[in-house]
Amino acid sequence: MNTYTYDESRRQFQRACRVIPSGIYGHQGPGEGCFIPVDAFPLFSERAKGAYFWDVDGNRFIDYMCAYGPNILGYCDEEVDEAARRQMEQGNCITTPSSRMIDFAELLVDTVHTADWAFFAKNGNDVTTLAVMAARAYSHKKKIVFFQGYYHGVAPWTQKVDYPGVLEEDVCNNVCVPWNDIDRLQEVFARNRGEIAALIAQPYDHGNFHDNVMPAEGFWQQVRKLCTDNDVVLIIDDVRAGFRMDLAGSDHYFGFEADLICFCKALANGYNVSALCGKDFLKNTVSGMTYTGSYWMSAVPFAAGIACIEKMKRIDAPKLLNEKGTKLADGLRAAAARHGFDLHVTGMPSLFYLRIADDPSLALHQEWVAECVRRGVYFTNHHNHFINAALSDSDIAETVAVAEEAFDAVRQRHPL
Amino acid sequence: MKQLHGTDQRTLAWINLYGILGALEELCAMDEEARALVADRDVAVGFRVAGGPRATLRFAGGQCTLEEGDEHCDIRLPFASPEKFNGMIDGTVTPIPTKGLTKVKFLLGPFTKLTDRLTRYLRASEQDLQDPEFFRRSTTLMFFVIAEALSQIGNRDRIGRASAANMPDGVVCLRIEGGPAAAIGVRNHVLRTVKRAPEKPMATMSFGSMEIARELFDGKRNAMASLGTGEIRVQGLMPLLDNVNRILDRVALYLA
Repeated sequence: MNTYTYDESRRQFQRACRVIPSGIYGHQGPGEGCFIPVDAFPLFSERAKGAYFWDVDGNRFIDYMCAYGPNILGYCDEEVDEAARRQMEQGNCITTPSSRMIDFAELLVDTVHTADWAFFAKNGNDVTTLAVMAARAYSHKKKIVFFQGYYHGVAPWTQKVDYPGVLEEDVCNNVCVPWNDIDRLQEVFARNRGEIAALIAQPYDHGNFHDNVMPAEGFWQQVRKLCTDNDVVLIIDDVRAGFRMDLAGSDHYFGFEADLICFCKALANGYNVSALCGKDFLKNTVSGMTYTGSYWMSAVPFAAGIACIEKMKRIDAPKLLNEKGTKLADGLRAAAARHGFDLHVTGMPSLFYLRIADDPSLALHQEWVAECVRRGVYFTNHHNHFINAALSDSDIAETVAVAEEAFDAVRQRHPL
Repeated sequence: MKQLHGTDQRTLAWINLYGILGALEELCAMDEEARALVADRDVAVGFRVAGGPRATLRFAGGQCTLEEGDEHCDIRLPFASPEKFNGMIDGTVTPIPTKGLTKVKFLLGPFTKLTDRLTRYLRASEQDLQDPEFFRRSTTLMFFVIAEALSQIGNRDRIGRASAANMPDGVVCLRIEGGPAAAIGVRNHVLRTVKRAPEKPMATMSFGSMEIARELFDGKRNAMASLGTGEIRVQGLMPLLDNVNRILDRVALYLA
């Protein structure tokens, strides 16, 4: 199997560095720790279709990052793109919003179990921030409880105190508790009685650098009760997992009801829209908040979102994606075992996390991922991956074959 | 020192003693002129900073070693506060020894010349840096000062401790290709710098060359872009390196 080279990506990166801070900033940039070693990875794409993207050197990748989540139906899905095109002909960013916004809100209220209303923005961070502000506005309390390893965006309140540009005052009301530790959570609630506005959490621990961890049996039901008993708003950040577990929301999957739930990534198959959905008792509070943006009511993403949700319902996307993810995980584990590696595949199969557990430094894992990427299977080192509906059985078979060869390459360097 | 972003004099004192004066170890090892200044000396200079660090610089056989504590020194320099000690490093405070008055000549003579030589390397002029050997020594000394400052800040600075609190146990290897290496050991969120490469690092941050490292130290090169170009290479347990990076932001504040 030939391995890829990235001369044009490198050339473009040098060009980017001259006019863009760090060349590519944020989670898609090589500086964020998921491209190790960096020379194994392409840096710029040329186009994408279905389960693949092509980089600027013409290399094709079976893509398991899916633009870090938004690609759920396959890149350039014809139904979604057609809906977007039709709306574009009618108008997009207009002085008064299109009634497509109401259509989209109605569809979300019908689809998402806990939703009595929907509020739209652009990015996940917009709606996690709105959720926390709404909880504070509703409760007139300050503190927010998080679970360790949390990620809820990039606004100052979501960061740690040592992050550049973040003030201690930005994060002094954050309280952090280990995941799945109901006793510690009860302690924190008792110690901060009357001060906690909200608990914000992802539906399970899908953090980086460690195996993903599902909620313990009954954990979420205990959390729900604790929040209800203490008048704490329960916020589920479903930005990453949303619609890959349950179209009615990941809280529904685990058998509880959030007060507020945040969606973005998979909401419109790559068109830029996010949504905060919530229970009726918080609707007046959100109504009273001035929170808006120049493009938040653009109609094209609404049309795309409607088409995306309708198609996800029709194909039962969570079931389909989890079946594909399970098939892939089984193939990868078997390939690893054949070469004497202990590959852990954790989290939901539709957004699986990979870790070679033989080496606590993760360097072996990084080597293996690099060998996969050089052969056209796009994994990243330490982020959960994503399945999309366009991924075929032959793509999965090709992935396992690449993984097998990559394991072999690593094993030759590190013989048993 | 202007108090920037919550930096504190006590942490700075630890950096100045273990990082700056600690670099005399490498200076004597690599610089003939420095070695000659202490070649025939056998003397230990203790530093006692009230509310701050205590350590002893021992000179013997042309070598210098930094030892924790000041109990076994020949000359003791006491400081009433971290500010006073930092003042000595800045050249604004002149200390008066309480022990070893007969050896004051060493302080006024060879020791002062030695620290002047260290200053020349650490605050190098553009002209001096044109000499490849001076450049190599200067960059090596800066590397070790930064490596030591990293542990001191992670252990003492209020924001640095928050970074250390997020670090798992393990050893980080910092190295410059073709140049020096250091280990930053982390155990129970306490950091310790050892000025040689570790045998089994859990994570590695490697600067591609002395020139690249120098430009990063001098703020002339962007670290994030350098990760993208591969001029800085990382491998291993990223939560260790992520937090090393956070602390390195603070190192720049303290050493500015």
